[in-house]
Amino acid sequence: MLPKRFDQARPFLTLGIILALWLFLSLVVKTFTRVTFFEIQAPMVVADSYVQDLQTFWSNRLHSKDELLKAGRQIAGLIADYDFGVQQNKNLRAEILRLENLLNLPPLPTFRFEPARVARRDFSGWWQRMVIRKGKNYGITVGSPVVFAGGVVGRVTEVYQYTAVVDLITSPTFRLAASVAGDSRPLSYQGGLNDSFLSPRGTVEFVPLDIFATKALPRHLVTSGLGGVFPPGIAVGEITNLEPSSDGLFKTGEVALDERLGSLTEVTVLVPLNPEEF
Amino acid sequence: MRRFDPRWLIVLLANLLLWWLAGTANHYLSHFSFLWIDYCSIHLYVSGLFVVYPALRLGRKHGWIVIILTGLMTDALEPVPFGTGMILLGAVYATLLYGRRRFPREGPVFGVIVALFANLFLVIALSFLLVGANPRPGEAWFRIFTDLLASQLVIFLITPWFLALQEAALRLARAHFPGDRQLTL
Repeated sequence: MLPKRFDQARPFLTLGIILALWLFLSLVVKTFTRVTFFEIQAPMVVADSYVQDLQTFWSNRLHSKDELLKAGRQIAGLIADYDFGVQQNKNLRAEILRLENLLNLPPLPTFRFEPARVARRDFSGWWQRMVIRKGKNYGITVGSPVVFAGGVVGRVTEVYQYTAVVDLITSPTFRLAASVAGDSRPLSYQGGLNDSFLSPRGTVEFVPLDIFATKALPRHLVTSGLGGVFPPGIAVGEITNLEPSSDGLFKTGEVALDERLGSLTEVTVLVPLNPEEF
Repeated sequence: MRRFDPRWLIVLLANLLLWWLAGTANHYLSHFSFLWIDYCSIHLYVSGLFVVYPALRLGRKHGWIVIILTGLMTDALEPVPFGTGMILLGAVYATLLYGRRRFPREGPVFGVIVALFANLFLVIALSFLLVGANPRPGEAWFRIFTDLLASQLVIFLITPWFLALQEAALRLARAHFPGDRQLTL
């Protein structure tokens, strides 16, 4: 029989053995276990989003014919606007191609647009991420940029068979090369200022000294297209204040992000057509 | 023939149900309006509740299985090094096992206290591991503190229900052996 003192410490001994076994366990086994455990829970994660879709479907069916006709008229107007936008887009693309050929420039990276429903949002002080309802089955790749009507949403960090995880622009782990609209000099953006009762914000570093921004006169921050997967010119947020950094060589400041990031239900994944370009 | 003892599986499934409910709540609490405040965002963290039943009312072997599997399940969905949750839950579980001979384990009141302290420890430990990545850790701590307050309030309210749910599930599955608890200490 074991001595009483040893018997009392047995829970900690068991914990120590588990910890040692875990530390010496191969990375392959850990990765496989993680993927397996995620996939086991994936149906649970997406289930409520499917239920929500069903609820929306049935609530839409309750609308009267008059309401549907009115909505149809509004949509017809939007379609006419978008048709004009598509035509303009085609002309601009042709112009870009002509200039690329004329100046012998390398082509801009091309993407396939993959719309995806948001299954689960998980926003805390530690991380900010969401699970979307498309994964390997739609060719989503790790690192793909994710956008919405208001600009950058984040970047795909994990891809599973039917789902993918997106690290949000508001997350402290999210970094991006950005630039002030109308200025080509790159600066560094990082997310992470997520108060409970304030809109999400990020920070910018290495801002040139001749750039000024205040709450009354904010500057538009866009992706620079440098050193990353994001194409240039996508909206990030508004720089609302800038102050000299501690070394005095640059400025640092805060970026106000889109409030809608916290209630997104649909996003678009930009799947690179030639991943080797990145 | 040896009969399959499903107690660990039932408690694990109850833990997963709570995990799913908390995840769903967090989905809707990511952005909401409350009274005059236009933008509110709260994150509920209830992992402290996962250790209460296994530590106070389940045998050691079953308890360890529940804790390891629950820890791995939660780690799979969180951006932390895989195994972090398992080790943290294991540390809380081992501490509770160490002292459970002296604990009043019947009734929900002590369960509530254990859940609150376990959750507090887990949030603080996880925060020390993760808050360094934040550009302004001070602001991050303020958010973590707000989330912790909300989480503790939720734990205070749901622990009696959750313990009763686990008891009822075991009873339904005819896997509840009241006498067994004393033997496995």
